Amino acid sequence: MKLDVRGEVCPYPMLKAVEAMQKLKGREEVVVITDHAPCLETIPPQARRFGYAYSVRETGSPEWTITLSPQGPGR
Amino acid sequence: MAPTDGRLPALWSLGIAAGFALQRSRFCFASAFRDLFLFGSARIMKAILLGLGVASAGFAVIMRGAVPFAENGALPPEAHILPVGVTTIIGGLLFGYGMVLSGGCVSGSLYRAAEGYVGSWVALAGAVVGLGLLSQTWNWWWAVAVSAEPTIWLPGVPGLGYAGAIALTLAALVGAYVFFVWWEARAGLGSAETAQPRAVAHTFRDQLTVTWRAVFVRGWPALVGGAALGGIATLMYVVHMPWGVTGELMRWANASMTALGAPPPEALGLADIGGCAARADETGIFTHTFAVTVGLLPGAAIGALLAKEFKLRFPRSARRYLQSLVGGLFMGYGSGLAIGCTIGAFFSSIASLGLSGWLFGLALAGGAYLGVRTIQRIP
Repeated sequence: MKLDVRGEVCPYPMLKAVEAMQKLKGREEVVVITDHAPCLETIPPQARRFGYAYSVRETGSPEWTITLSPQGPGR
Repeated sequence: MAPTDGRLPALWSLGIAAGFALQRSRFCFASAFRDLFLFGSARIMKAILLGLGVASAGFAVIMRGAVPFAENGALPPEAHILPVGVTTIIGGLLFGYGMVLSGGCVSGSLYRAAEGYVGSWVALAGAVVGLGLLSQTWNWWWAVAVSAEPTIWLPGVPGLGYAGAIALTLAALVGAYVFFVWWEARAGLGSAETAQPRAVAHTFRDQLTVTWRAVFVRGWPALVGGAALGGIATLMYVVHMPWGVTGELMRWANASMTALGAPPPEALGLADIGGCAARADETGIFTHTFAVTVGLLPGAAIGALLAKEFKLRFPRSARRYLQSLVGGLFMGYGSGLAIGCTIGAFFSSIASLGLSGWLFGLALAGGAYLGVRTIQRIP
């Protein structure tokens, strides 16, 4: 699932990422595209809570792609 | 104030430094309060507490130089010792609600405006309008409430003195820190493992690159930002006065209304309270409040440009513009009533060893809680 949240500021990118992880329950990865740097601090800590691993790639200036991938069965 | 005022370059430098530190550490008072309720995180709140510890110690040294015997009833000049009462609570609730709705407080909107966030421009415009509305209605508040509210300075409380006031303030800050560690543990958040694989730097050149990136490209840890802001706020007071940003916006609001033919009535009692109250005797751009308010913009812009984080960002839905505007209005009116925002009435007030900052902080938390309930319903 792809979440393009460019233009959105805190807390919406994080809320939408959490909503997606809650909905997908580890069945599918979530790819978040953002231009809001604070997301790099707010989204990764949420990943583990929903059984996801995360990776961050800088894909523009400023733009980041945060990939949340399922980490086996959730907690 | 004249352009030849020797303190202006110092205050401009400190304003720019503050803007840079805010941008680099992505320091956001709005998220500090909001995230407590939204997902149990106290990451930035803990950093604020550290900054308050630094600033409280620094302010105490400055105030002791000005007023050696605190119990004589004299108050240190320029300290943010504000009225404690129902207007502190109402102002804090309005401000806390507004900053969550708009996504940033006044200082946050200022530095984000310089990073290219168009929503923050709207929030600032809303704040100026809100301050103008307060200006027009201030005398009513003064008559029904503010004039009867005490200003309580902890070192002046009999039996406390400087030593007692400092001990009490630091103990409260440490107590709050421990409380928020418990708060995070309760939310099951724990300390997030943010460890990223680090490249090992061998050569001098690599070392320099790593250092450069840590300061100018990667975001600073919040605690570093908090400590830096505590130090910068102290230096501002060394030069002249504690940090505050809404007084300057209040001047713009009053000047605009005067230009439009609807000048606000002369504000009763405000000149004696100090804090972020608009200084009626100061006009133009060669003022101290202008330096520490507008100075944030170039500071944040430098930080954003070096990190390649500057970009004009337009909110995609009309709803967000409305949120910024209405949130700004709430913040403007609330900060006018409380005579300061998260900087002037909260940070600088607690560091001034005043009681009002603590009450305003609690009210901010209450407002943020209500704000969270609202934004959770706005998709």
